[in-house]
Amino acid sequence: MTFDEGKVLAVDNISFTIENGDYVFLLGPSGCGKTTTLRMIAGLEKPVKGKILIDDKDVDGISPEDRDMGFIFQNFEIFHHLTVWENVTFGLEMRGYEESYIIKKAQKALETVGLLNYADEFPSIFGNPGLQKLGIARAIATGAKILIMDEPLGSLDPKVSKVFRHELRNLIKDLGLTAIHVTHNQEEAMAIADKIIVMRAGKILQMGSPYELYEAPNSIFVANFLGETNFLQGFVLKLLEENYMQVWIRLGGPKMLCENKQNKFNLDDNILVAFRYEDVYLFPKNYDFEGSHYDWSKMQFFKAYLDSSRFVGATKRFYLSLDNRDQFISIKPGNYEENYQKGDELIIGVHQSDIHVFKAPENLFNELSLS
Amino acid sequence: MLEDQELNNLRVPFSLKFDRFFSKPIYRKSLDTITIIFFILVIIGPIINIFSTIFLNIPSIYKDVFNDELIGDLQWMNILKSLGASFSIATIAVIVDIIIAFPTAIILTRYDFKGKKFLDALVDLPMAVPTSALGFSVLLFWGIFGVSPGMVLIILGHIVFTFPYIVRNMKIVLEQAAVIYEDAARTLGASGFTVFRTITLPMMREGLIAGAILAFTRSLGETGATLILSGLVETAPILIVGFRRQLELPSASLLAGILIAISISLLFSIKFFSRRGSFTVRKVWPKLERSLSHKTLRNLRDILTISILIFVILIPSFYIISQITEGNLFKELFLGQDYKWVYLYTSLMSSIEIGALAVIINLVFGIPFAFIITKRNWGRIITILDTILDLPIAIPSAALGFAIFLFWGPAGIGLFQPGFFMILFVHVTFTFPYMVRPVIGVLKNSDAGIEEAARTLGASNMTVFRKITVPNIKQGIIAGCIMVFTRSLGETGATIVVMGNIRTIPVLIVDWVEANNIASAIFASTVVIIFSAVLIFALRAVTTRRRKILANN
Repeated sequence: MTFDEGKVLAVDNISFTIENGDYVFLLGPSGCGKTTTLRMIAGLEKPVKGKILIDDKDVDGISPEDRDMGFIFQNFEIFHHLTVWENVTFGLEMRGYEESYIIKKAQKALETVGLLNYADEFPSIFGNPGLQKLGIARAIATGAKILIMDEPLGSLDPKVSKVFRHELRNLIKDLGLTAIHVTHNQEEAMAIADKIIVMRAGKILQMGSPYELYEAPNSIFVANFLGETNFLQGFVLKLLEENYMQVWIRLGGPKMLCENKQNKFNLDDNILVAFRYEDVYLFPKNYDFEGSHYDWSKMQFFKAYLDSSRFVGATKRFYLSLDNRDQFISIKPGNYEENYQKGDELIIGVHQSDIHVFKAPENLFNELSLS
Repeated sequence: MLEDQELNNLRVPFSLKFDRFFSKPIYRKSLDTITIIFFILVIIGPIINIFSTIFLNIPSIYKDVFNDELIGDLQWMNILKSLGASFSIATIAVIVDIIIAFPTAIILTRYDFKGKKFLDALVDLPMAVPTSALGFSVLLFWGIFGVSPGMVLIILGHIVFTFPYIVRNMKIVLEQAAVIYEDAARTLGASGFTVFRTITLPMMREGLIAGAILAFTRSLGETGATLILSGLVETAPILIVGFRRQLELPSASLLAGILIAISISLLFSIKFFSRRGSFTVRKVWPKLERSLSHKTLRNLRDILTISILIFVILIPSFYIISQITEGNLFKELFLGQDYKWVYLYTSLMSSIEIGALAVIINLVFGIPFAFIITKRNWGRIITILDTILDLPIAIPSAALGFAIFLFWGPAGIGLFQPGFFMILFVHVTFTFPYMVRPVIGVLKNSDAGIEEAARTLGASNMTVFRKITVPNIKQGIIAGCIMVFTRSLGETGATIVVMGNIRTIPVLIVDWVEANNIASAIFASTVVIIFSAVLIFALRAVTTRRRKILANN
């Protein structure tokens, strides 16, 4: 499936392909065009330009009722004037199936989501999770092979949604469906996607498996949006052999050795150094590096001061600052043992491979905002 | 997974095939076109026609109105005087209404007491009762105190039947305005009166203005009650009725044109100004306002409000029921030479038939029209249609009736003669917005998402409409039907202008009061009051059920 499109440039000239059986996420901040993209696939909006191919067939002009896709909505859009059973059989009846077949399929769908006992009730007895289960049952009952979901977990309590998302993935995989899932929740996407397409302002920034995106973000936005990342400003101090370079964090900050992939950077370029919170190692000032057997050669060291530390249940967060007052964060397991005091001078270590360097954008604030 | 062979014989039911066939865009477009044509013919046509009639007949109007051989410009003076009377009556009535309605609306929304629902229904009731019956009741009640027909009595009557419009609109906004803002203001140190003045009142602005417009236009255009209460005073609608009766058509068309023009400019300017400007004074006088918020004063206000409500609005409205034993009803109604009971029966039947037919016609065209307003994105055209839709509410019904008489009657297209069908036509026109507005209301509130959900499940447009949309907007449609029926049942002015030999029940009441058949008029009024009471309670049952359903969701 491929298409380009632009509706008031809510979605601007994008193109991607989804393989049969893939569970694909469209991920991005609100207003990035992901929902519009989804609605175009479902036929609820019409692309101004471009094509949508399903099984190599152009679906232009085919109305939503004839596209044979299951759609799951953020607000469930359950028919409250119909019973649970009537909700689930609605799509089957529209297709004119035989009654025995309808009963079989509807029962199976309700059983899959665990609502078979409530068939004769009205949906108003359900809370949000129940409503969404019904929404899923209604969408899969028709036997559609493509499932389209617009923030399906967005209206659920965060804790419920964390459990629910794994059930959703298992169900989709068991039924062998091809699924497209829209969300702004990066954690949700990382947890259950086969493939993530990151969108921003109507454009696709990057696509790939969760691992690929996390380990090799291609832009400041993706690095910032997926996971928690420190950004430090600086410039290229020296170009070295074998695609390496030395960068200097601004205003007399530390110097670091980084990779210069494909010789992208030139001398004096303004750059942004990025590394994840969890990739920041802390050592006391007098740590005996010689005494340990670890190979420290690939690690960059610099000094910083501890501003404060917070215990957050499973993790512990350390708020640190450099000589130049630039601040960054390190995250450690909750049971991390230390006895650092506020104001202590620490030695910071970051693996060279964990440091990503980006060209400094014109408007850093804009680039780091999550919208 | 189920086997494919089980799917061999698909039997799509006929109804779904039918839906699918009529879901083609061409049918939707033709329905839209027919609806718009209906709208133009029924509402826009007569209004444009009356202006062109005036324009084409300037010489005869000039001769009749401004320069008559015998009476000179007396006609014009009458017109001016009647307009002055109409406007002062409407202004005074609305001001008095607002003063009583403020505390009443607060009592009905913010307080909790036994019999609140009953009081609420009672306050709404005069809206459903034919104004001629109300007017007659007011005449009888104030007659006890020696108030005779004239300016004062007209105003007292108009206060009674316009009051519900203002209270209703105030109540709606007060119910919606979140109490949380008032609480916030109180935690910041504002006293009860200051909170009302600076927080509640601005939130109520639009509802207050909407109610005031409705009440003002209803008062301006009222005929039935005014005919009974007016004595020698002539308001503009009554003058139109008089011109029409004496077949002074040029004068009638001039006055109708003036009234329509005034109503249109009033509607537009209020629509324009209600969004801007504010009538709150920012300055606060904490000490004074705190003392005004004192509990004793508040109780005093409530007691005063309730007593005014009871003695000025409620008792005058229903006083007539207690007079049912007045005179020799049986003899007058059944034993007279003129078979009054036959008249009563036939006019009641005509009223019901006209009301029912108006409901059906407005259902057929009103629902598609509501869809056009809410669902089509025709940009500016929608805004224009939306504004024009309110015209039949704003224009005095006698003037509108006369405009329709000119457009469809012998002087215009010539399709109808005054009589049953022309009455029906007029009633369809002025009740059209009463059908469309509630449907627009529910359509705007109803979730478009469930319609999309149904489409992704394979339902065609028509099936979605039948199985999803209609069940969800049913309450609005029923509310619209009841509104149309009660308005049609209560209308006098427009009916008189086009009725020929047919009588509807409100007109019959006016006739009998004028002919001094008091006992029969009392009986007829009581019948329609009870009939309307049943309707208004049905309406309330429907609308509260809708609120409950919404709350459940």
